[in-house]
Amino acid sequence: MSNLSPGNDPAFDQTGRIVIQPNGRPRPLSPHLQVWRWHITMTASILFRATIGAISVGAVIGVAWLAAAAFGPDAYASALAIAGSGVGLIVGFGLTVVLFSFLLNGGRHLINDAGQALTLKPADLLSNIAVWGPVPLAVLFWGVLFVAGRVSL
Amino acid sequence: MNRPAQYRNGVRVSEQHGAGEWTLEKIALFLLMPLGVWVASTAFTLSGAGYDAVLQWFASPLNAALMAATALIFFGFASLAWKVIIEDYIHKPGSKTLLLGLLNLVCLALAAASVFFIVRLALGSAPLPAGFGI
Repeated sequence: MSNLSPGNDPAFDQTGRIVIQPNGRPRPLSPHLQVWRWHITMTASILFRATIGAISVGAVIGVAWLAAAAFGPDAYASALAIAGSGVGLIVGFGLTVVLFSFLLNGGRHLINDAGQALTLKPADLLSNIAVWGPVPLAVLFWGVLFVAGRVSL
Repeated sequence: MNRPAQYRNGVRVSEQHGAGEWTLEKIALFLLMPLGVWVASTAFTLSGAGYDAVLQWFASPLNAALMAATALIFFGFASLAWKVIIEDYIHKPGSKTLLLGLLNLVCLALAAASVFFIVRLALGSAPLPAGFGI
């Protein structure tokens, strides 16, 4: 077995990642979520996919809002009552988190797609902003709305 | 089909339409960044606003045009982004084709509905009858 180098010989393995394949050859296990040490860039990447799903739901709610306005004052009053209810406010807060997440994480994605900020420190910084930034921004958004008396419980 | 493989920066260039869709998705996302900030500020402005205030807001052609642009670009982006997600997880050719078809249908319907409502609101058309009068 000429392919047995210290690199993939179970006897020398210190990572626990070398497995014996069905054909009897030792091979490193495919990289996967359970194998890699967790890193913030992974969270940012997964959250962006989740954000795309969530903001699609938000867009459907947005179209429903347009429809409510187009169907006249009564329909719009009903929509406003739903939006101002407890559940409506919770969903509204969630949607602002999602919108800010889309902006910050989408911005990170665009920068990384341009081949920029791919070394450890800048990538970590952008990922941290994308992961944590939406929450304080949404709290600020709703905080100002409540303080200004534009929205109330 | 038998074109020689092409490389850019040592990376093989896609032979079909993958690269074009990737670029389109990035352009859409880029355009959605300022539009998203505008949507956030609009949501702030119109939070808790009544029917008359909303109609007044839509009477501004700039607001209506930006809203229509946001809807069209977003649903275009959504169809490309969801296409990537579906292609990542659904490998059965029949199911994949079916889901991609449904996806485009839904995105197209939502984009068309958005523009329909926005145009009516911008023109100050009479409210639609409940259930479209059917």
